Order: sequence, then structure tokens, then C-alpha cells
Amino acid sequence: MIKIKKSEFSEFIKNLQKNYSVFAPVTDGKATAFKKIKSADDINNKILNTKRSPKEIFFPQSEVLFQYTERGMEVPKREEKPFAIWGMRNCDTKSLLMLDNVFGEAHQMPKKDMYKDPYWKEKYDNCLVFNLACNEPLSTCFCNWFGGGPFDKTGSDIFVVETDDSYIFEAVSDKGKKFLKEFKTAEEISDKEIKKIEKLKETAESYLAEKQDVSSLFSKTKEIWDEPIWDEIAAKCVNCGACAFVCPTCHCFDVSDEGKGNKGKRIRLWDSCMFAIFTKEASGHNPRSQSTQRVRQRVMHKYNYFMDNYDEHLCTGCGRCVVVCPVNLDIREVIKKILDYKK
Amino acid sequence: MKNTYIPFQMKVKKIYTESPDRTLKTFDLSYINEEDKFDFLPGQFCEFSILGKGESPFGIASSPTEEDILKFTVNRTGSVTNEIHYLQEGDIVGIRGPLGNWYPVEKFKGQDVVIIGGGFAFTTLRSLLVYMLENRKDYGKITVIYGARNPDLFIYKDEIKEWEKRDDLTLHLTIDNPVKGWNKLTGFVPTVTKEVSFDPTSWCVVCGPPIMIKYTLPVLTEIGFPDEKIYTSLERRMKCGIGKCGRCNIGSKYICIDGPVFSYEEIKKIPEAL
Repeated sequence: MIKIKKSEFSEFIKNLQKNYSVFAPVTDGKATAFKKIKSADDINNKILNTKRSPKEIFFPQSEVLFQYTERGMEVPKREEKPFAIWGMRNCDTKSLLMLDNVFGEAHQMPKKDMYKDPYWKEKYDNCLVFNLACNEPLSTCFCNWFGGGPFDKTGSDIFVVETDDSYIFEAVSDKGKKFLKEFKTAEEISDKEIKKIEKLKETAESYLAEKQDVSSLFSKTKEIWDEPIWDEIAAKCVNCGACAFVCPTCHCFDVSDEGKGNKGKRIRLWDSCMFAIFTKEASGHNPRSQSTQRVRQRVMHKYNYFMDNYDEHLCTGCGRCVVVCPVNLDIREVIKKILDYKK
Repeated sequence: MKNTYIPFQMKVKKIYTESPDRTLKTFDLSYINEEDKFDFLPGQFCEFSILGKGESPFGIASSPTEEDILKFTVNRTGSVTNEIHYLQEGDIVGIRGPLGNWYPVEKFKGQDVVIIGGGFAFTTLRSLLVYMLENRKDYGKITVIYGARNPDLFIYKDEIKEWEKRDDLTLHLTIDNPVKGWNKLTGFVPTVTKEVSFDPTSWCVVCGPPIMIKYTLPVLTEIGFPDEKIYTSLERRMKCGIGKCGRCNIGSKYICIDGPVFSYEEIKKIPEAL
């Protein structure tokens, strides 16, 4: 472990920018999001959970798949520098690992290469993630339900703890180790500081609400698939899709063309299973025309279907959906209701 | 890294108007570049692109034995299919594929096969039928039940005439309601399936509109076909075709990669499949 003084932070970011395009949490009007920064001045390290999740760095809300003219099709040129993300939190870092399962390859298929998503892979494979520990988790945080925690290091390349006057760096992945090895100006940390980190961790964990045991969530969701509980859960949902848009793990998209004559582009855009049109076919047939079916789909995908394929829940407990839901449909309450449901 | 989102170009070689109301047309596409040619098996699908309008998934209607073309039959119903219907011979279109899995033709070898189809969904069934007829000695008895709302709405009418002449194929054609001059079967596909007698040791492939599939599968169970020998093809509004966009997700499966072909045994385990 090494540390840099807060007074050296600007210099650190400046150096990082030599080899990387640096993204970090910024305040953008009333909203907060991960954006490409010009300098350390843009960064707001006080933001715990950005309103929009950092999935958009790798999987933007809209992305041009290719442009076409009468001469043919062309994929837009990508940035040459790899991405470094400063200040990601554990819930988001973990979400990227989950999304990499989806966009990386279809594990069950032969000819794996054809199932890779090149747009995701090009950005994600070379990125460097600085995961910032959460010293003061929010009341909406429930990462501890899904195996995460304010000081959990899963998925980070470099794990960072903020103290009064410094940032303490710990290399987690090989990529992170390589990066820190080349770091010459930083100081080693003392035993006293290690103790300080322990203390910060304890305090942070005490901020979190009580952990819910979700070990039976997978089997329970399967059991109740046909039960009327879904009508109850979906009753107040207005199918606005806000939960899916802020969710760091939701990844459904639409593909749409914009063009006239021989010139145009094909674009992919975030979409959501909350919308009736998501599954509506040209014939008018809609296999998921009811709101209840759509709410069930989202909950089932997160807490059952994804588990079936990848052995984990498609939720990191970031709490963004709890914050944005216009009708206060709290996913934690939904989970509790499912777990408590008696047939 | 291979980019499966980029279509390759094919030329519209021949267009057939299948129905007098012009809602059904078949398009034979020819490859422009030799290296785009791909191997596939009956049951697989492609994304058919009209740049500027979008793309839609269609089952491949040609057989792998028809090497120089890809055939698609398109019902004119939405914005992309409208544009496809405006195509003229010689026009260039975009294709991505082959996508998805296929009917288990290997398992069918040496066995009797029953094909049950409805309406313009006969596309991948044509692929299967032509493939089996081209390799006729590899398969046992072949029985086909094909239903349409009325006689005009059968696709591949010229080929049906040829198939009717063959003595190595039993073909049952049915329409929903009686029409003057129609001397073949009348009645919905599930009902006709119940009436036609066949050996339940055969393999069975069903493809048609969702409502037909839903009511035909239980009839097959009633006749005595085991679930693992009944196959059907599902459809959803697939966009990416490679298991990413989530539109065709049912249960833990994605129709575009785990399907579109599923056995009845698998379907019973997938919520919302039918």
C-alpha cells in the first residue's frame, strides 16, 4: 500500500491523464455522473452514488454502431487512450463484472468470438478502475445484501481509501499492481494508517442497515412465479423505466436507424423491459402486454434468471432505483415481500 | 475482434409474390462476396437490414442444399417489412447471420419426421423439408400438415404442387373455413393434427403463429409423442441476435442464442415461452 497526499491529487490526475482518458464523478447541474474530466478540479469526491451509473462510460445511453454511405459501412473510430475511472464505488465496480459476463461472450455458445460485443470490449478490457471506499454509506445502500460492502475490493484494479489528508492506494488486480509499481513519488504507509483504515471500515459498515439474508431469493422467486403476489408488487408501478435507466446492471437496448437516402447511422439506445413496446411485435402480438408481467420480468431477471446463467444476482444493492422511483416502489421491500411470501 | 452487428451485403435476385393480396412476398438473395457465404442448418435465422429503416429477424426459408441463395418470406406488417416489400430485383440489402440454433436434423436421421406448420411461418419448415428431400435416403417417412387461413395464403404454392406429386412424402393441406372449390382438409391445425393418424415414435417439428403452437403441442402429447421428440421454433422481437439486447429473454434463456428451436421438454421449463 502507498499513499498520496491530497495536496498532490491534482498532480496525480494530471500524470494519469498522460496515458489514460480519465473519468470521475462530477456534478453536472443538479445531477451527478461519471464524465471525462479535464482536470482534478472537475472531480467531486464527496459524491457517493452518482445519479447516473458509470455503466454509461462503456455502454452509453446512445452509441453509433456504424455509419453508412453509398460507399459502405464504417464503425466510428474509438479513442486511442485506454480509460481510467477514478472514484468508482464497490457497487458499480461489481456491476461492470456482471455486464462483462453479458457483453463479453455467450459462455454457453460455440464460436464464442461472434458473441463478443466489440463496443463494450474495446472500452472495458483495457480500463483501469480506482475503486474508492465508501466512508459514509447512504441510507439507501444495501450492497451488504449481495455480498458487497463499503470496503469490498471485488472488481477493482486499485482500491483507494480516503483519509483526512491522503488517499491510500492498494493494488488489487495485476493491472493495478503494474500501475502502482511504476509509481515512484508516493510514500509507503505506516501501521498507524493501516489501523486508521480498519477504523474507517468499521464505522462505514455501522452506517449500513441490517443485512438481509437473500440466500433463498433464487428458489423463492422461482416458486412464486405464478402467484398473485406480482399484482400486489406491480400495483403502484407506473412503468416509467427510471429504475432501469439508473441501474448499473440493466443492459437491455434497442437498435434504431437514423438516415435518409444513402446516408445515415445505426444506433443502439438504452431500453427497458418496463415499456410495453419492448416486446411488442409488428403483428400487434405482445407477449408481455401487462404491467404485472413486465415488473415480474425485471425482478425475475435480477434475482432468478441471471443467477441461473452466471451464479450471482444481477443487483449490487447500489440503491439508485430506490432513490429515483417516482412512486416509492422500494426494491428492498419487494425482496422482503418475496422472501416472506407464503403460498 | 469480429463485429457481429455489421451486416454484409446481398443482392435481391428474385422476388415472388406469394399471395394475391400482395402481403406475402419471398425474396431470393444472392451473395455479392464469396467470403460472406456461410454454412447453416434448417431453423436458423438472419437479421434482414434495410439501411435507414432498421432490421428484423426472419427464419431462413432456403435449404442449406440451395447453396447460392438465401430465401426469406416476409409478411408486410410493420415499417421494416414495408420497406422490404418495396425492394426490386437487383437492389442491395444487409444480412447478419446465421443466428440461433437449428432443428436437430442429426437426431432425425433414419427416423420418421412429422412437420406441422401454419401460415407464413412455413419458412424454416420449407428449409427443413427441402433439406430432408435432398437427402431423402437419410430419413424415414415424412409427413407434413400445413394449414393456412384460406387457399390464397399458402406460401410456396408451386412447390406444394411438386410435393403433392411425390410418393415419398405425405402432405395434408388444410384451411380454416370451407371455401368453394377446395377439396382438401378443412379445420384448424390442432384439430386436423388430431384427425390425421401417424406413428408417435416419429420426431415432430411444429412452427406457426403463437396461438397455433400453443394449441398443437398438447394435441401431440395426447397422441403419444414424448416431449423430447417434439420441437418448435419461438419468436420474439429480436434486435441484436447475439444474446445482448435482452428483448427475447424468457426465463434464463435468450431465444436468439438458446433458440429459436426448443424441444417441448425445454419449453415446459421456461416461463412465458408459450
